[in-house]
Amino acid sequence: MERRFHCTACGKCCFGWLPLSLDDAIANAGRFPLAMIWTTLRQGAKAFALTAELGTTVELRNHKRIAVQIAPTAYIPPEFPCPALATDGLCGIHADRPARCRTMPFSPYREEGDQADLLVPKPGWLCDTTAAAPVVYRDKKIVFREDFDRERRALERQAIPLRAYADRLVTNPEVAAAVEKAAKKSRGGYVVLNFSAILPRLRQVDAAAFSRRQLPVLIEFAERTAGVAGLADYHRYYRDNAAGMAQFLERRG
Amino acid sequence: MTPCPCGSGQDLDDCCGAMIAGAPAPTAEALMRARYSAFALGQIDYLADTLAPEARGDFDPIEAGSTASDAVWQGLEVRAVTDGGIDDETGSVEFVARFRLRGEPRVHHELARFRREHGRWVCAGGDMNPKGPPRQVVKVGRNEPCPCGSGKKYKKCCGA
Repeated sequence: MERRFHCTACGKCCFGWLPLSLDDAIANAGRFPLAMIWTTLRQGAKAFALTAELGTTVELRNHKRIAVQIAPTAYIPPEFPCPALATDGLCGIHADRPARCRTMPFSPYREEGDQADLLVPKPGWLCDTTAAAPVVYRDKKIVFREDFDRERRALERQAIPLRAYADRLVTNPEVAAAVEKAAKKSRGGYVVLNFSAILPRLRQVDAAAFSRRQLPVLIEFAERTAGVAGLADYHRYYRDNAAGMAQFLERRG
Repeated sequence: MTPCPCGSGQDLDDCCGAMIAGAPAPTAEALMRARYSAFALGQIDYLADTLAPEARGDFDPIEAGSTASDAVWQGLEVRAVTDGGIDDETGSVEFVARFRLRGEPRVHHELARFRREHGRWVCAGGDMNPKGPPRQVVKVGRNEPCPCGSGKKYKKCCGA
């Protein structure tokens, strides 16, 4: 079976959350407000084995084991455009855009054979899937696969520090309780955790330099979400993380 | 006088304050109390400096700072101390710290491990909400001697 797809640069997918590789997250600390998003996946789900390999697994109180995707994420409210989306509706950093944007609409968080539904444009998206568009997916294989493979490799490389971080953090009863609650959702739930908790494990990243780039972004998003109905959780996240980072930088002098 | 946040009843300068200022902690419990006081006083660098190297990856100074500044500390209870004395090299302290964070009451119950690193006590991690040893229930047979020591059969004594 063949599937056709061509991006028309409509910019409709450039809204809301954007999962990033750790490297892309650090590199874009001056652009995106970052969070670590844990997404639960029940046993038997198609991407269970892959998610367990790239993220971690957690045993629930009922002794069932779930997989948890651990994704460094540009934590942007769904109705907010990507900060890199320029006024002409095009990407302002197209040459340097994150791996996640390059691989769209494919997703290396899922098996290569399980990508077909991602090629169906979401309501309002203007992707070209007509006969004029090139074949991009044939017999459950991705045709132009460089970006997919590159992003998958980045996810594989970061799996070790991410798992060390996650397996330690899940021993915190509050995190464990949040994961339990998320896992109760039939289609899997998510937990939003502070991005900064991964930093002490990344030897090559200077936490102060990172914070100096991230802090103004958090402050800007805190201002944009202040008092906006439905965005209280986002606002609290930006505000609390900005406060912690400001203090951290103050202590560093 | 400033009472020490650790609840010892002593002046801060005579208690945890001296250790936060750089004096070595004589025991594991003293370091544990000083770390609690440092958290309550927002001295995040002390928390980082008194961690063993293997525990540093678990410590996020950014979150610790924002938690420390938004928390209202309500007291420390040391439940159990194992070793960690003046002549020991390792030790553990089970403690419960109570605080309110952004209005929510929180309880931090931890069994923290300590060891000496170059002669100074450091915190080497810990387990949250530690479980006690499993309870053993011994069943007394009806014809066995009564555990109360009377010498009678259980069924003729306490088990009647």
